[in-house]
Amino acid sequence: MVQESLNVYDASLWLSGLRVTLFLLFVCSVLGTLFGAAMALARFYGVPLLAQICTVLGELLRNSPVIVQLLFVYFGIPMFFAVRISQIEAAIYVLTANTAAFMFVVCLSALRSVDEYQLNTARSFGLGEVKIFTRILAPQALIVALPMTIGVLVNQAQVTSLVSVIGVIDLTRVGHILNQKTFDPFTVWPIVGGSYLVLALSISFLGNKLEENIRRNSGALRECEARHDD
Amino acid sequence: MNSILSLVPFAEMLWDGFLTTVAVSSASILGSFLVGTLVALAVTFGSAVTRRCARIYIETFRNVPFLVLIFFFYFGLPELGVFVNSFWTGAIALSVAVGAYVADVLSAGLKNIRPQIIEAATVYGFNQVQRVRFFLLPLALRIALKPLGSIFVNLILTTSILSTITLTELTSAAKIVASKTFSPFEVYFLLLVLYSLLTHFCSLLVHLFHLRATRHITDA
Repeated sequence: MVQESLNVYDASLWLSGLRVTLFLLFVCSVLGTLFGAAMALARFYGVPLLAQICTVLGELLRNSPVIVQLLFVYFGIPMFFAVRISQIEAAIYVLTANTAAFMFVVCLSALRSVDEYQLNTARSFGLGEVKIFTRILAPQALIVALPMTIGVLVNQAQVTSLVSVIGVIDLTRVGHILNQKTFDPFTVWPIVGGSYLVLALSISFLGNKLEENIRRNSGALRECEARHDD
Repeated sequence: MNSILSLVPFAEMLWDGFLTTVAVSSASILGSFLVGTLVALAVTFGSAVTRRCARIYIETFRNVPFLVLIFFFYFGLPELGVFVNSFWTGAIALSVAVGAYVADVLSAGLKNIRPQIIEAATVYGFNQVQRVRFFLLPLALRIALKPLGSIFVNLILTTSILSTITLTELTSAAKIVASKTFSPFEVYFLLLVLYSLLTHFCSLLVHLFHLRATRHITDA
């Protein structure tokens, strides 16, 4: 068996894997957050039928392994409906749906955390529902949702590694390739794991900075919290 | 419909896979609880160095994907001279990885216990070990029960990753059945439902535990 050590070309392989992972993480986080927020709004305002569908879908997605979801979308759906789904497409669909399911819970609990008295007061002052949402509900819900969202994103950074199971050449797959090449698991996997670690830590670092920034620059928020403490 | 019936001969195989999933989940839940408790105690009562090490352990294993960890263990353990089958490799890796989450939640629980309770226990003559055994751990567990439940639900879902290291658990068995029957849609859909049932059952258990643990409390 030929055993080779790591060389310069492996660094470019690592980079391309990292690019795929980052791409998936970015696309699925943005899409998933949008879908999740839309689902939460449907549930919060009790849109008939849509609210129930969102709840059931969210439960199913959060209570089944992502690997099975990937296998289902990549192998099951093309076979059953006779459509073509590429590996990266399947990965995007599944990760987006999965992120949406978690963001659904995050956004819903954030929306529900806003005091109902405020909403009723606004209503009795004759504010329209849209204005209530943009002026009262959304700003307060956002700041509640932010730390939880960061938690979800850090988690999703790890979930992206599963797409290697259906053959997407992401960071984990690259690790696997290099592992087979060098037979040196104690070098390869710490490098791959370290990359994910740095990625996760930078997401939470940036997220915390963002949250601090918002808290510092929002006088209204500080006032609100001061009143809560009394 | 035809293809659903074609799954019937493979029911036993799926059932065996299901049992393996349940077995490896149970072993890992116990293992991760043990690891998590020890690390949580180290975080709370250890010296500065111990605390720091425990924190690094928690941060690392919470932020590295399990798939990477399992490959590390699967390829790394034999290099260290440890030859165990994929079941125990999986159980060890899950215990170590999920133990970090358990430790995080439990140490938060330990931090939230009112110091007066411990002072009272000290005054009544309980020594350090007894205080941990009879006051700190039960109280921390009660606070941590709900988050622990979701961690263990996640653990059950994570066992599906063990299919990548040749353990024939539910996902692995389903892969084989799917390739034999050529009906991946039905097989994987069944799998989604089975996992949902399993995790709902786990959530229900945790909920019952929570009801029992908080039965004397009116404002919790």
